[in-house]
Amino acid sequence: MLSAGLISWWYKDGFKLFAEKIWTKLGDTVDFFSIGSLLGTLFAPYRQISANASGTSIDAKFMAFLDRLVSRLVGGVARIGIIIFGIIVIFLQLIVSLVSLIFWPLLPVIPIICIFLSFSGVTIWLK
Amino acid sequence: MAEINRYNKNSTRAKYARLGRALGVPLISKLLFLIFLLALVFGGILVFSCNSLGWLAIGVADLLLVLLIYINLLFKKVPLGKTEDINDILSSNILSILGSDPTPSKIAKSLIETRSGRFLALRFGIIPRLLEGVANDLPDDMTPIFKTARKIAKKINASQISGGIIAIAIIENHPNCEEILSRMRLDLNDLYEGITWYNYLHGLVKNSKKKRRDGGIARDFTFGFTPLLSRFGQNISASRSGTMKTQLFRASNQEALTQMVDIFSKSGRQNVALIGPDGSGRSTIVNAFSELLLDANSKISKNLKYRQIFKLDAGALLSGTTKQGDIERLVTELLNEAYSAKNIIIYLNNAHLFFEDGVGSVNISNLLLPVIEAGRLRMILSLDEQKFLEISAKNPSFANALNKIMVGPSSEEETIKIMEDQVPFLEFKHKVTFTYWALKEAYRLGDRYVKDLAMPGKAIRVLEDSARYAKDGLVFGESVSEAIEKSEGIKLQASTDTFEEKDKLLNLENLIHERMIDQEPAVHAVSDALRRAATGVRNENKPIGTYLFLGPTGVGKTELAKALSSVYFNGESEIIRIDMNEYVESSDVNRLIAEGSSDAMSLTAQVQKHPFSVVLLDEIEKASPQVLTTLLQMLDEGILRDTKNREISFRDAIIICTSNAGADIIREKIRSGENYETLRSEIINSLIENRDFKPEFLNRFDEICLFKPLSKDDLIKICDLLIAGVNKTLSPQKISVSLEPEAKELLIEAGYDPLLGARPMRRIVSKTVENIVAKASLRGEISSGSTLNITKAKIEEELK
Repeated sequence: MLSAGLISWWYKDGFKLFAEKIWTKLGDTVDFFSIGSLLGTLFAPYRQISANASGTSIDAKFMAFLDRLVSRLVGGVARIGIIIFGIIVIFLQLIVSLVSLIFWPLLPVIPIICIFLSFSGVTIWLK
Repeated sequence: MAEINRYNKNSTRAKYARLGRALGVPLISKLLFLIFLLALVFGGILVFSCNSLGWLAIGVADLLLVLLIYINLLFKKVPLGKTEDINDILSSNILSILGSDPTPSKIAKSLIETRSGRFLALRFGIIPRLLEGVANDLPDDMTPIFKTARKIAKKINASQISGGIIAIAIIENHPNCEEILSRMRLDLNDLYEGITWYNYLHGLVKNSKKKRRDGGIARDFTFGFTPLLSRFGQNISASRSGTMKTQLFRASNQEALTQMVDIFSKSGRQNVALIGPDGSGRSTIVNAFSELLLDANSKISKNLKYRQIFKLDAGALLSGTTKQGDIERLVTELLNEAYSAKNIIIYLNNAHLFFEDGVGSVNISNLLLPVIEAGRLRMILSLDEQKFLEISAKNPSFANALNKIMVGPSSEEETIKIMEDQVPFLEFKHKVTFTYWALKEAYRLGDRYVKDLAMPGKAIRVLEDSARYAKDGLVFGESVSEAIEKSEGIKLQASTDTFEEKDKLLNLENLIHERMIDQEPAVHAVSDALRRAATGVRNENKPIGTYLFLGPTGVGKTELAKALSSVYFNGESEIIRIDMNEYVESSDVNRLIAEGSSDAMSLTAQVQKHPFSVVLLDEIEKASPQVLTTLLQMLDEGILRDTKNREISFRDAIIICTSNAGADIIREKIRSGENYETLRSEIINSLIENRDFKPEFLNRFDEICLFKPLSKDDLIKICDLLIAGVNKTLSPQKISVSLEPEAKELLIEAGYDPLLGARPMRRIVSKTVENIVAKASLRGEISSGSTLNITKAKIEEELK
């Protein structure tokens, strides 16, 4: 009863449950890096530091312009860095997720493969 | 139909549930995991050491891993089936305890092992002993119980039948179900509500484990740096992050939230004014709004997503500055910062504090109004309706510039739901457990006694206060009553709990007569009213009793009010006495209902401070008609509004009005031996005909009692009472007085005046007996422990 139930559950409800968990975790990572938002605001000022800057002279306006320019550049670099890092993490997680999904159906079969390997005398020899 | 309610011990779910219970999942999981690790490491070492047997160990490890996943994902909680069969909708917990031959009695014993069963036991008193008492040992009775359980689950929209539902079904199937629950002051709907409450809390815990998506690390990247706002304001969005989601149980609050989203999503005046009384849940709406903005999955416009709400507090701003000019500069900088940051919504809680001068407030309306009118900076204002009207009267443009959303008090059902939501936080804070009765009482008593707050705020405050009166960590309805009694200085129904109190109530007439003579109808009337109040059989939307005492002067009208206060209301200090001859002008109404801070001795101010009192309105016939009209609502509904339009409750007071109107007729007719009831009707008619009182005024009283003139026999008893009073006064000096019969007769002769009642008697006793004692004391004729015998001669001497 147990083994039949296990096999039936493993390839139906179990697989669905596992896939859902993997999908949720992937979604959480994508949300955490929010690459869409980063791309959309790639060169927006990093910090709007001139909130209370006053004055209407050309000097003041120029300084504010320079502030914003530097802030945009810093913002661009920071965002590109995070985008690259985020893409790597998401990519790695995607691979791990895919491998896990492929591995899931194989898990109940692995003992049979192991018995076959054992009786075939296959070993790994580290030199 | 019966088939789908029949338990099948051989169903797959039942077998899995029993197996899961037998295995003891947490322990077996740990053991399996340990063996899995050992087998994996051992197998790996063998394989890498050129021994192919290692594959077998790895195979075993893999098998263990599969089992581990299977047990944890399936056995821990066997998923529900897909049919309507009872075996598919019973929770795995219940299936695991049902065993192979369940009976109602067996299951009643085991329900405490389920979470929902424990919940009902703790908060509703549905303990195993009670369930075992109503359950039998017939296995066939399980099917009707399951049928009832299915009906309950359907009624409360529960997806599965839990232990709690089975517990209720066992009770509901008992023929004396209503009686059993009534004894516990519950009904079936309360228990259904209990299961809904459990399911809700269970859902909250489950959801709290899920990660909330809130925009990730890029969320605040493009927005401005806000050092000043971080220093002087409170970031509501940050404080709500990581907490349980705010639930809006009221349809009106949900609607307010939708309106806020709508207003801020579209172009136009970017402000919202939440207008409603304190405690009505304005802050809860703002909290829910802040969570909605940070929810990545919420369907709101892009220009609103991930905006953060900063609360500004007038007190914090004032403490950060020294001069008016400084505060204006600071607020300007704060608003500039918020505007430049582009992701800030300013929230002015108690916004009136920014529009008026006073302690803890600062008038910067000249600064804020242009910002509100321009509508470029998003703002939320929250303020009391009265304050809003006051500010609008001063600044009409203020009212026009705002998008108003009205927030009203919650209903009983909504308040109970809100309290159920808040209970886990209060329990965590105070380390107590609230029972369901505590919630119900918090609503009932909060609604009645807590002023200056609206629902649900007042009920939550009462609930929180009652935590201090928990017994063995549990907060019962009695704990709530105790909290109210202590905080409001009132006496609630629990007074009938002790034998002494019951005895006192049953013998009120005798106790009152220890202080006054005769006047049986009036004494009976007030005693009956108090007994009704103490046992909870009175109309709670009226004063305990309203009485008009009519009769000549000095016959005991005021004395009865004092006796009542002394016997029942913990002493004569709990009497609020107003001489109505001081309210003869129509303009005196304002003085009568003056607000406490302007006149502490007004009727409303005194009752607000001492709601559990005897209110004595002496010589009511002398008050102006306007004053009497003002009192109508007090007599009828137990409510009087003070000059600040605040409701003052008289519902825990006994109101006694005294009047000498019609005294002559009473005296005359009583002397001619007329029947009391006939005389009463005659007197009432004559009062109306003579325009002493209007019919609608007289009609408001529960009873109009006539006080008859005192006879000589009455005077003898009064004389005894007065002498007893003198002895009581002298008791600390261990001195007593006794009167010879002739001396007493002389006193009565001298003190009897049919027109003036007992007052001359009191004066005579004071003039003679008290003077004799004083002189004897000065002459050293009496000492501690002695009794002074007063003779007729001594009295005569004093009367000269």
